[in-house]
Amino acid sequence: MSEQPDGLDIATVIASTVHDMKNSLALLTQSHAQWQAQLPAELRQGREQGIIDYEFARLNGMLVQLLGLYKLGANQLPLHPAYHELEDFIEAQLARHQEVLQSRQIEARCEVDSFDLMGFFDQELLGSVVANIINNSIRYARSQLLVSAWQEGEFLVLSICDDGQGYPPSMIEQQSSYVLGLNQSSGSTGLGLYFAGRIAALHQRQGLQGRIELANGGPLGGGVFRIYLP
Amino acid sequence: MQDYSDKRFLVVDDFSDFRSSVKAMLWDMGGKDVDMADRGEDTLQMCRNKRYDIILHDYNLGSGKNGQQVLEELMVGKLISHQCIFVMVTAESSQAMVLSALEHEPDAYLTKPFNRASLAQRLDKLVERKQVLKPILQALDKQDAAAVLAACEDIARQDKRYAPLCLRHKANALRDLGRHEELERLLSAVLAERPLPWAYVLLGQLLHKRGDLSRAQATFEQGLQTFPMMPALYDGLAAVLLAQGDSQRAQQALEDALKLSPLAIRRQMQLGKLAMDNQDFDIASKAYRQAVDMGRTSRFKSPENYLGLAQALTQQAGDATLDKRVQVEINQALGEMDKSYSGDPALQVRSRLTLAASLKKSGDPARAAKLTEEAVKAMAELPELFAADTALQVAGQLRDLGQAAASDQLLKTCVEVYGDDPAVMQGVAKQTSDAGILSGGKEAVELNRQGVRCYQQKQFDEALKLFRQALALQPKNISIALNTAQSLLRQGGEKPPAELLEECRACLEAVRMMPASDPRHERYQQLRRKAFGQ
Repeated sequence: MSEQPDGLDIATVIASTVHDMKNSLALLTQSHAQWQAQLPAELRQGREQGIIDYEFARLNGMLVQLLGLYKLGANQLPLHPAYHELEDFIEAQLARHQEVLQSRQIEARCEVDSFDLMGFFDQELLGSVVANIINNSIRYARSQLLVSAWQEGEFLVLSICDDGQGYPPSMIEQQSSYVLGLNQSSGSTGLGLYFAGRIAALHQRQGLQGRIELANGGPLGGGVFRIYLP
Repeated sequence: MQDYSDKRFLVVDDFSDFRSSVKAMLWDMGGKDVDMADRGEDTLQMCRNKRYDIILHDYNLGSGKNGQQVLEELMVGKLISHQCIFVMVTAESSQAMVLSALEHEPDAYLTKPFNRASLAQRLDKLVERKQVLKPILQALDKQDAAAVLAACEDIARQDKRYAPLCLRHKANALRDLGRHEELERLLSAVLAERPLPWAYVLLGQLLHKRGDLSRAQATFEQGLQTFPMMPALYDGLAAVLLAQGDSQRAQQALEDALKLSPLAIRRQMQLGKLAMDNQDFDIASKAYRQAVDMGRTSRFKSPENYLGLAQALTQQAGDATLDKRVQVEINQALGEMDKSYSGDPALQVRSRLTLAASLKKSGDPARAAKLTEEAVKAMAELPELFAADTALQVAGQLRDLGQAAASDQLLKTCVEVYGDDPAVMQGVAKQTSDAGILSGGKEAVELNRQGVRCYQQKQFDEALKLFRQALALQPKNISIALNTAQSLLRQGGEKPPAELLEECRACLEAVRMMPASDPRHERYQQLRRKAFGQ
C-alpha cells in the first residue's frame, strides 16, 4: 500500500469531524436537558437556559448545514422526496424550538391554507433548511413568529415571517448572488442562503425548479423568507 | 395530546443516559409502561413475550444488529403487528433512510437530539394516523389483501392526507391478488405524477414477473437515475439481468447495492451464488463469509452460506494446494453447520462431500475418499430428493471426487424428476453428453406439454389421456404426476370412484420424496389432502 503524497483530503476530514461533533453535541444537549429537569423550578427558566438552548440549536443547525454542503459538493446528497402533510411538517419544526421560543416569550404559529394541504419534498433536507431559518428569525423576532404554507399555481409556498426589523436592504437586493454562492463575505447568513437555495433547487418537476425569496414586511412586518417548491 | 397511559412502550438504545432521558419524557407524557433494552437481539426476545404499542429504536446500536435489521426481523417474524408504531431514532437520519429496505420502513425517523415537544408531536401524529388507517392495518395483520383494498378506497376518499399511503397499500394488495393489469395502470399513473422509489420497484418487479424483461430493466434503470442510493432498485436490476442471462452485470448490480447497504444477509448470499456461477471466487468467498457471520444472530441464517463459503474457498485455490489456514476456515464453517443442522441428513451428505473436495486439494486424498464413500452410502438412504440445483451441484462434486457412476445416477434421477424444466436440462447437459441420460424424458415432457395445453382449453378428457401416457414414461416426474393427479380428481367430481382415487394416490405416492423446498410442494399437499381424504 502506498501513501498518497498529499496526505489528507481536508474536506473529508472536516466532514467526518463534523459528524463526530454533531454526535457529541447531541449527547451534550440530551444530558443538559436531563440535568436541567432535575433542577428546582425557579432555576429551570433562567436567562442562561434560554441562551444555552438557543446556541445548542444554532450549533446543531450549522453542523447539519456544513455536512449538507459537503455532501452537495461531493454529489452525495440524493433527494428522498415523499408526500408530506404541511401542518404536520411545520408543527414538527416548531416543536424542535419549543424551549427557546418559550424562554424568549415568542409566540409561534402555524397556518396552512387547508388542514389537508400536502407537499412533495425531502422532509429531512427541507427540515434542516427551515430549522435554520426559524433559528435566525428567533434571533430577530420581538414577540411573534409565523410559519405558513399554501399552494400557488404549480408551486407549494412555505413562508417564515417574524416581527423583527427585517433583513438589511443590501441583503434583499443581492439575494440572488448569495444564493449563487457569489457573495461569500457575510459568513453564516450568506452560507445559509446558499444552502437553502441549493436544497430548494434540488426539488424539480416537469421543468420547474424550487427557489427561495427574501422580503421585508409580510403579515408581521418583519423579515419574510419564502421557499417555492414545484 | 393523545392518551399514553395505556400504551406499552419499548425504548432501545445502547446509551443508558439516552434511554433514561427518553423514559422521563414518556412519563411526562403520561406513559406508565416503559420497557428498555440496549441490544437489538433483546428487542426480538421482548417482542416475542409482549405486545408493544410503540417502539422507539436506535438505528446504530454499536455492535450487533442495527435498527433496520431488527425491524426487518420483527416484521418477517410477525413479532409486531402492523398497528404497532415503530420509530427509528438516528444520529443522522438521511443515512438510515437510504439504507432502509423499502418493504420494511419504520413509521417515522426521529433525529437526535430531540426534545419532549418533538417526541410528543411525532407520536401524537402517528397515533392519529394508525387510528385512521386501522382497517387497513388489521387487514394486513390478517393478510387479507381484498380487505386491504376495500379499506384503502374508503380511507383515501375520506381524507386526502392519507391518499399517498393508501395508494402504496393498494398497490401491494393488487400485487398480492395477482391483479397485474390494474397494478400496472396504477403504478404508471403514480410515476407520471411524481417519481417514487417504491413505485419504480413494484413496476419493475411486475414487468419482470410478466416476462417483459427489457421494460423491467428500463424501469429499474430509470429509477436509479433519480434514486442512485436505493439498494432495492439494484436488487431488481440484478434479478432482471440474471433472467436475461447477463450474470456478469447482475453481479455488478448486486455489488453496487452491497456497497450502499452491506448488512443485508440475503443480498450477500445471492451475491455469493452469482459470483460462484461467474467463477469469481474472491467475491464469492467474501460474500458468503459475510453471510455466515451475520447469520449467527439472524433468522435468515442458511446452511447454503456455510457450504458456499467452503466451496468458494476450495475453488479459490485453483489448481494449487489449499493453504492450511484456508482448510482450517473450511473445517470451522462446515463443523459449525453440522452442529446447527445435525437433524438434516441431506445436509450431512453435502457437508461431507464439500469437506472431501477441500481435503483432496489439501493433500489428504485418503480421508477425502473415505468421506466420499460415506456420503455416497448415506445418499442412498435419504428420505427426500435433492432440489434440482442442489442435485446438479452434488452430481458435479461426485464426479470431481471420482464417483462417476454415482454422479450419473443422480443426473438420471434429476432428468426423471425435473426433466420438464429446461434450466435443469441445461444444467445436466453441462455435466454429461450421455445420450441415455439426456434424452430420457423428452417424449414424456412433450406429451405433458400437450396435456397442459388441452387442460387450459378445457379439453379435460384429452388432457388426462396425454398426462397418463406421459406418466407411464416418466412416473417420477413431479409436474407430470401432479398434473395427472389433478386431472383425475377433476374427472372424479364430488365423489370420485374408488378405482380413480386409487390411481390418483399411486401417482402422488410416486413423487412423495419431492423436497419440501420445492415450489410445487404446497400444490402436492393440497392434492394429497383431496386424494387421501385427510
